[in-house]
Amino acid sequence: MSKKGLLGQLIQSFCCLPGVGAKTAQRMVFYVLQRDRQGARRLAELLLLAIDNINYCRQCRTFTEDDLCNVCADAGRDTGLVCIVENPADVWVVEQTGVFKGLYFVLHGRLSPLDGIGPDELGLDLLRRQLSAGGIRELILATNSTVEGEATAFFIGELARKHQVKASRIAHGVPMGGELEFIDSGTLSHAFNDRKVF
Amino acid sequence: MTHNAVNLQPAFILQHQPYRETSLLLDVLTRDEGRLPLVAKGVRKPQSKTVALLQPFVPLNISAVGKAELKGLSHAEAILPALPLQGLALYCGFYVNELVGRFLHPHDPHPEVFHAYQQCLAQLAENINIQAALRIFELELLEHSGYGLDFGHDADTLQAIDPQQTYRFKIGVGLVADKKGQISGTTLLALAVRDFESPKVQIEAKLLMRTVIDAYLQSKPLKSRAVIQQIVNSDVYG
Repeated sequence: MSKKGLLGQLIQSFCCLPGVGAKTAQRMVFYVLQRDRQGARRLAELLLLAIDNINYCRQCRTFTEDDLCNVCADAGRDTGLVCIVENPADVWVVEQTGVFKGLYFVLHGRLSPLDGIGPDELGLDLLRRQLSAGGIRELILATNSTVEGEATAFFIGELARKHQVKASRIAHGVPMGGELEFIDSGTLSHAFNDRKVF
Repeated sequence: MTHNAVNLQPAFILQHQPYRETSLLLDVLTRDEGRLPLVAKGVRKPQSKTVALLQPFVPLNISAVGKAELKGLSHAEAILPALPLQGLALYCGFYVNELVGRFLHPHDPHPEVFHAYQQCLAQLAENINIQAALRIFELELLEHSGYGLDFGHDADTLQAIDPQQTYRFKIGVGLVADKKGQISGTTLLALAVRDFESPKVQIEAKLLMRTVIDAYLQSKPLKSRAVIQQIVNSDVYG
């Protein structure tokens, strides 16, 4: 298949999506051209609209088409609690649990020295300003339980301490319905070290 | 196909990145096989037990199979719990990983480097004298990857290093006497025996290693160094 012409360009453009290779891209392109031109038009229009209008929330950096996202604009939320997450998808997951009534702060990544991602790339300047403005009682560090996630949590924890704000890390341990026999040793040792009084 | 298999090799993960929906691409440092690119298929699933182990700084035993350049991880077990690196020591751990990734070529075994890497991580985990741990590792890595320096002799004149002289590093040649050089002879003699007691040695050694490493990396700077600089400069550690 030559990469020239509209068809070729379109197939190549689909390849920018994660998990889509040349073959899948080709199948998608042929599908929309053969079967669903209406749907493709709507997709194209929405994509353009989204790219032009969806930006970062002024306060928590999640994606929103307004100045403030739904969570930050909600007057019923506890503004003294801020949950730090790596991705907008994590906000969605925590929201679904319904246990957290505070605000979020989205890093859009994690501290990853090997990829050249440092504090400046994670919008920590904005967090620093919010911490020094006062009003935040506790930061809940809900970054992933990977080495990079821990590095990020540690750094933000230090930042919080510097501003005399309490920082807590979400617990790691035995999953609900999990049997000890099937849990990896790393998670189990975490669960033992972080056990709490019963 | 046993010659294509890697069997329970002591190893550390240097770098990991997501690959497709449920897999991981790993850059692994093994003791007897050198640096290996590996794919760990299907480990990013909710029930996966291995994904928790496939993190940097966990001493592992790994097995891998495959005929191609990119072998598949078939087994991984932790020998010991992850080394407890925290804060600056953790960021330096990333630096060490990047250094190994840049200096060692895949499938080129260097058991001595593996040993030095283990020692370095153990020292970082203790969080005392991070500078010395990093310098010793850098020296070992350079030496075993073929970029070692002769701390006993001037590379131009072949005379013994004079503690009263100052020296500088000349790429492709080595250490040469230079009145404007920033490295003193005393420091070079201390480096030869890996003695980092004096603060002056620590400062000059850092400068020298940085010059040497940058020279061999051919102006492609280390990303982790820039990030660590950013972290150190931020007011958190100020």
